[in-house]
Amino acid sequence: MKKTGALITTTVLMAGLLAGCGSNGKESNAAEAVLKDGKYDPPITINIAKQQDENAGKYINGESLNDNVLTRWGVENLGINIQTTLLGGDASQYNTKLRLALTGSEKLPDVLPVYDTSLENDLIQSGLVKDIAEDINKYMPERLKEIYKQYPTTFNPVIQDGKVYGMAISPNLTEGEVMLIRQDWLDKLNLKAPTNIDEFEQVIAAFTNNDPDGNGKNDTYGFDFSGKDSYNTGWVSDSVMIFSAYTGKSLPGQWYNDNGKLTYGSVADGTKDALAKLRDWYSKGYLNKELATQGAWDALADFTEGKAGIIIGRPWLYGSVKDVETNVKGAKIKAYPTINGVSGDRTYQSGQQNDGVFMFNKDFNNMEAFFLYYDKLYDAAFGTGDFKYGYAQGYDYDIVGDEVVFDSKKFNTPLDAAQGVGKMAFTKNTPSVDGPGKSFYDLSKGAKAENGVLIRSASNDETAKEGYVISYENRESLLPNAFNGPPTKTMQTTWEQLNTMEKETFTKIIYSKEPLTAYDDFVKQWHDKGGTKISEEINEWYNNASKVDVMSQMGLK
Amino acid sequence: MYYKSKGYRIFSIFNHILLILVALSCLLPMLHLLAQSFSSKTAVNGNLVSFWPVDFNIEAYVKTFKNTNFTGSMRISVVRTVLGTLISMFIITTSGYALSKDFRGRNALMWIFIFTMLFSGGLIPSYILVTKLGLKDTIWSLVLPGAFGAYNLILIMNFFKTIPKALEEAAFIDGASFFVIFRKIYLPLSLPGLATVGLFIMVGSWNAWFDGILYMSNTTDYPLASFLQTVVVQGSAQSMALSQSEAAALSEQSIKAAQIFISTLPIILVYPFLQKYFVKGIVLGAVKE
Repeated sequence: MKKTGALITTTVLMAGLLAGCGSNGKESNAAEAVLKDGKYDPPITINIAKQQDENAGKYINGESLNDNVLTRWGVENLGINIQTTLLGGDASQYNTKLRLALTGSEKLPDVLPVYDTSLENDLIQSGLVKDIAEDINKYMPERLKEIYKQYPTTFNPVIQDGKVYGMAISPNLTEGEVMLIRQDWLDKLNLKAPTNIDEFEQVIAAFTNNDPDGNGKNDTYGFDFSGKDSYNTGWVSDSVMIFSAYTGKSLPGQWYNDNGKLTYGSVADGTKDALAKLRDWYSKGYLNKELATQGAWDALADFTEGKAGIIIGRPWLYGSVKDVETNVKGAKIKAYPTINGVSGDRTYQSGQQNDGVFMFNKDFNNMEAFFLYYDKLYDAAFGTGDFKYGYAQGYDYDIVGDEVVFDSKKFNTPLDAAQGVGKMAFTKNTPSVDGPGKSFYDLSKGAKAENGVLIRSASNDETAKEGYVISYENRESLLPNAFNGPPTKTMQTTWEQLNTMEKETFTKIIYSKEPLTAYDDFVKQWHDKGGTKISEEINEWYNNASKVDVMSQMGLK
Repeated sequence: MYYKSKGYRIFSIFNHILLILVALSCLLPMLHLLAQSFSSKTAVNGNLVSFWPVDFNIEAYVKTFKNTNFTGSMRISVVRTVLGTLISMFIITTSGYALSKDFRGRNALMWIFIFTMLFSGGLIPSYILVTKLGLKDTIWSLVLPGAFGAYNLILIMNFFKTIPKALEEAAFIDGASFFVIFRKIYLPLSLPGLATVGLFIMVGSWNAWFDGILYMSNTTDYPLASFLQTVVVQGSAQSMALSQSEAAALSEQSIKAAQIFISTLPIILVYPFLQKYFVKGIVLGAVKE
């Protein structure tokens, strides 16, 4: 008995000691920090959460997450110390950590970038995040207001009951996709780049049957795309162009705002014709044989290897496939706009207006400081102020002689890779106001490269630059998904199954494992098994989101 | 003799072929990875590498070892594996020794331990516990939560039970205490069992990645497995908002291959030294008297 007593005492003592270790939280600074000449004195600390990919560059000069050139810049120039207190590697881990933080086992960071609509909704429901409508009205600098005015729909996921629980992270329309074609193959076969579906068919047929690489073997094919995760990847190895050629603005896997009514693209008229075409091409060997097993990123390999002739993706895709010009002698890639639809109209593709939203801890009282800091980060996007060329000389850019360089190998102290600002600032993406490539367009029209944005653009590969110009000229063809809210009630239970059914049906039809009429069954089943209900719910969400005029509340009108 | 019969020979041939196929299916992916790690970036991106390096170079390894994140994570992984194995082995052997004896409440205790094999508190309670104990962001959050494993305990306990009682009684007569008996008789005699369980724990802690990601708020504190998880999983990431620089990072397949290969090496190197105990350890530990 004596021993048991001693044991219990020890346990209690230990627990007490350990608990003591945990609660050495800092005293909240009682002295109110004041903003004087654009600087806080004494300095204040903003705690942030961050999703950071370790592979995207590394720290240099012995710096770290919470002590680097940009955090020091913040303290010195603004009196704002940015401290990362919650960090996740990839998207799902980051979401898990945010959810765990919601349990209240530790203090939620002040600023939370959230990239998942259902998590955004959970945060709102938890009551731990702040309504920032007032703050935006009061503290958001004018030039940022101008930007946010252009993207009112980005507020939809965070508006609830007329309150605004967050704001988009640097809203800006993504660049559009272009068609990358093996120009040397076109030249060899005396073909021109296709502009409609018939010409497209002729070209990929020739690429498959007429031995464009001249090795005497039947080992090439026309069109390389991925169908593993969806038939609308939105970035690389995309096949949306073919669907859009028949459906117009209804794209597979996304919602289209048809005069105030949201409709789902995969069940839209014309999809069947597109599938019929793909099925025909697949059976003739014009397409990537493994399209249903290769993810967007894996599907590139065939093109890079010199086996495929056409691939579609964002203009920078060129940088990822240009190895073919090294691997295969005489290979040459050129960028072209996507083809036109059967009606003669352009084809459309998905675009994105923002990557996630900022949300704020409801106890965070320094919104003014946040906006001060955030606005400064935009200096790089506008090419003004402290960040005229980039964020830090010797990190993401350098000045060699009189020239601003972005090629890290030409830096005064050459680096393997420039240190991206995502590693230092509080978002993984850098704010941009360049849209789908305005700077490239301006350059092509003869603008002088005099600020960071333009110089950086000018330092791209020629083919990528041409691609961006095409992207900008065709910016009208970008369609953001009209539904960006949290999963609706029926979606939570059935969306996964509907998606699986969709992917399977599409793939089986293309592979000729099921007759084309399977598509009609799919459409019927889709509606019966929850699609109709989901459409109703989504339209209800849309009407609610656009009912209250929060934009003027925020002074964004 | 049965092994000379025709049927046995046919069986034997099939047996060999099958085992060779199984062995190849384990070996070939490693070879492919090794070839990739020694090939140039352009060749890897073009899918030109199979089992022999194309444009042989060691750039991927140079870059990997120059990356302070990688080497730092490697160090943390070594520390955690060594520390974790030692602590875990200490707890399991001492408790296994005690539980191999008969005493009151032993069954109840065992039942409690086995209960933890079947049910766990789940992610959120564990997280709250570790956080409130102040272990977050320390190496202890990686080492302590998994230190006591019921499965390993049962293996060791059964192993101890196979050691004849008479040995212990003889030692008692010679004046040895429980601790001396434990140290001088039980531990040396159960080397196969210790080696087996030790290897289990070692491999387990070396490969564990989720706890690192969960409890470390700074990526520089990640153990190697967590680091690799962020690096390799990113390769299959599906994000429309992927930026140009991230896309460029994705294509560093040869570096990823090198990193994976280096990270598997230590365990592969440890294995041959423990392998001879392995079969014996599992069989003996699993049989109850």
